[in-house]
Amino acid sequence: MKQVININFHGQIVPIEVSAFDLLKLYTASLANYFKNEEGKEEIINDIESRIAELFQERLKKGVTCITDDDVNAIIKSMGRPEEFEGDEPSSFTQSSTTSAEDTGAGQAQSAIPNTSAYKRLYRDENDKVLGGVCAGLANYFNMDRTIIRVIFVILIFSFGFGLIPYIILWIALPSSATSIIGGTRKRLFRDPDDKKIAGVCSGIGNYFGINPWIPRLLFLLPFLSVVFNWSHWGFGDFGHFLRVGFSPGALFIYIILWLVIPEAGTTAEKLEMKGSKVDLNTIKNSVVEEMKGMQSRAEKLGHEARAFAETKGKIIGAEMGSAVKRSSRSFGDVIVFIVKAFAYFIIGCFGFAFVIALFAFAIVSIGIFPLKDFLLTEGWQNILAWGTLIFFIAVPVIGIITWIIRKLAKIKSNRKAIRFTFISLWIIGWACFIFLLASLSKDFRSSSSINEEEIRLSNPAITKLEITTNSPDKKYYRNNWLKFEPFESLNDDTANVRNIFVKILKSPNDSFRVTMMKIACGQNRRTADTLARLINFNAFQKDSLIILDKGIAINKTDKFRNQRIVLTVYVPVGKQIRIDKSVGWGNEVHFGINDNNDVDIDDEERGWDQNVNYVMRANGLYTLNGKPADDWKNGNKDNKNDDGDENNNNDEPKKSTNGGDNYRYNNTTPKIDSLKMKLEKEQQQYKDSLIKEQNEIKRKQEENQQKLKKINVITQTQIPESGDSYSLQSYSPLACIGLI
Amino acid sequence: MNIDNTASQMRKGVLEFCILSVIKQGEAYPSDIIDKMRTANLNIFEGTLYPLLTRLKNAEFLTYRWVESNSGPPRKYFSLTEKGDAFYKELEATWNELANAVKALSDAEQQHTSNANFNNPQ
Repeated sequence: MKQVININFHGQIVPIEVSAFDLLKLYTASLANYFKNEEGKEEIINDIESRIAELFQERLKKGVTCITDDDVNAIIKSMGRPEEFEGDEPSSFTQSSTTSAEDTGAGQAQSAIPNTSAYKRLYRDENDKVLGGVCAGLANYFNMDRTIIRVIFVILIFSFGFGLIPYIILWIALPSSATSIIGGTRKRLFRDPDDKKIAGVCSGIGNYFGINPWIPRLLFLLPFLSVVFNWSHWGFGDFGHFLRVGFSPGALFIYIILWLVIPEAGTTAEKLEMKGSKVDLNTIKNSVVEEMKGMQSRAEKLGHEARAFAETKGKIIGAEMGSAVKRSSRSFGDVIVFIVKAFAYFIIGCFGFAFVIALFAFAIVSIGIFPLKDFLLTEGWQNILAWGTLIFFIAVPVIGIITWIIRKLAKIKSNRKAIRFTFISLWIIGWACFIFLLASLSKDFRSSSSINEEEIRLSNPAITKLEITTNSPDKKYYRNNWLKFEPFESLNDDTANVRNIFVKILKSPNDSFRVTMMKIACGQNRRTADTLARLINFNAFQKDSLIILDKGIAINKTDKFRNQRIVLTVYVPVGKQIRIDKSVGWGNEVHFGINDNNDVDIDDEERGWDQNVNYVMRANGLYTLNGKPADDWKNGNKDNKNDDGDENNNNDEPKKSTNGGDNYRYNNTTPKIDSLKMKLEKEQQQYKDSLIKEQNEIKRKQEENQQKLKKINVITQTQIPESGDSYSLQSYSPLACIGLI
Repeated sequence: MNIDNTASQMRKGVLEFCILSVIKQGEAYPSDIIDKMRTANLNIFEGTLYPLLTRLKNAEFLTYRWVESNSGPPRKYFSLTEKGDAFYKELEATWNELANAVKALSDAEQQHTSNANFNNPQ
């Protein structure tokens, strides 16, 4: 059922369907937009309109009662859309439709509609949108209920904040369905080839938002300016900063992605589409008003539907009950298959998503630590290889995957092979860089320095308690970064502090404290390693009962980082106390290499102690002040260990191996077939029970519904006249809310 | 190089010439022009025709008069002006030149290939 209105179109009275009139208005608007820079704009449009009026008249003369959507579509086809102008030959399809446009055109008009829907593309759905129509468009594309997609997006937005970014990207990237239906006045995002600096991305964005192209350009440039002024600012791979486009190397990524994804405005039509109509307050207001109207009608519709639903529900349930038992088994099977399928897709999706995220995180981390490369790499080849690794090995796949996803969604098909080939070959270059870099680096770490212990002189080795702390004990503050590189205590232009400090506690053979320090490093050969170890400038001095350490090993750019580390050994006499301050850290290890040939193990080392806890040394190890042993394992399994003879064979961390509980559990859970069978039977029984329960439930509901139906019949008979508007928004508010999403 | 684009550029170039030739035969109404072009197997959108006509009229190559129509709004019938006639002659000369040149070039090509194939000039 369609409403027909009469319009005065170039002096002709034309009865036309409202929807057809809307199509016509859109078409003339698109013409006006296309010819807006043309000199005789009014005249051209007038001519075209009067021709359309003539065609309408032809149709009406043939006895049609009114002009329909199909008529308008056929006429638009024969006139051509703005983007088809400028002498492009109509395709054979449109040719046939234009010649038959003279006929009544029932068959040909039908062919015009499948033509738009058969070619499936991802559009934003303007007809059923809540915000930007992205969800509705996705739902159309995947043939799913839009509510589901909306719920997913809302969950994503509220739980992670993730959903918002893809939504906005899709909002911008996807064309609106309005442009697909008709020439369209909506803007599209293009790269502007006429006003470009690199690829026209910024000027395209400027055109889209109706702003000066220098504004996006400046936003993209800011990170590079900040590099000049203060590069350590973004040196910490801070995720928050990464997202703030203006202040991070992320801008470069975004630019490249936009470059690949946004098409260039080639034809005049595209250029006009790019500039489109300005988005000003008025158009926003209009769209809001339209939106409100849409919502009102939706609410009314829901009200009507609700009534119809209540009336039919009773009948339907009654009909279904007849074959309920038969159906239930089959539909349950279907449901299970569906759930399994959905689950499988979900898992696959999760893996894919995790992979992309991991790659992304990897990229962020490597960008974060990239400024540190000068502390690690020698000039020349290693530096080039590092850049190659960063760009080709890490950045290329990230950009590639994102581009692929967006292109896939938007169904951009051009040059697919070329792009894939480029990405893959660049990535291979990246692999080569990465491998050569690792090879050349491991050469620099080949041998480690000889061990040589130096004594820290204590002025009063006989004190009762020794405390080890650093020279910035309490003032340690954390930057509020999402991702921290803990071991790097501070970082400036040519020094990085690495906290490779290991504290080991031993029992003293006599009754005085003794503290020794070992400086260890790696190098291409033992000589360079020894030199580097000697160059480590690390101070530890005693002040009363405190041993104060530097907060880290200073690494400079000339000597490079070669696994420098400090091993501090504290000999605690029996009966004396020891405390390691938290600021010393856990020997947060910054360390390159796979084989740990420079690790130091000391016999009889005390294990299992904690920081910021006072310990007292007893004859058989460390104890807390209230008598608990620091190392549960050592004391609890004393016999066991003595049998082994050499306790230091066991280099594992004590806490891990203390509870053999892990092994125990493994043995017990090996599933046995019998138990599986029993479980299965149990499940089957439960399933049966639930089926019976459900059946009863349905019966009960049916009775209830029949009663309700009677009631409703009474109510509707009496109340229909005034129940129209204020019907059931409240009672169906959950549905209405979902509709709002 | 985009082949579609080249072909459409070629067609675009001769459109005005074609329109003028149709109108030269006598006063014409836009949809007549379209029909004639179609029968000559040159398919264009009507939407393309109207701006071209307006441009030609604004350049004073064409003039028009209103004719009442019994099916719809009054129609514009276009005819050539003196200036338009001169312009047409100019275009015609250019076209003939071009056509001859293209023909000569492509014929030479054909002869060349037939020579090579049969070693027997016609």
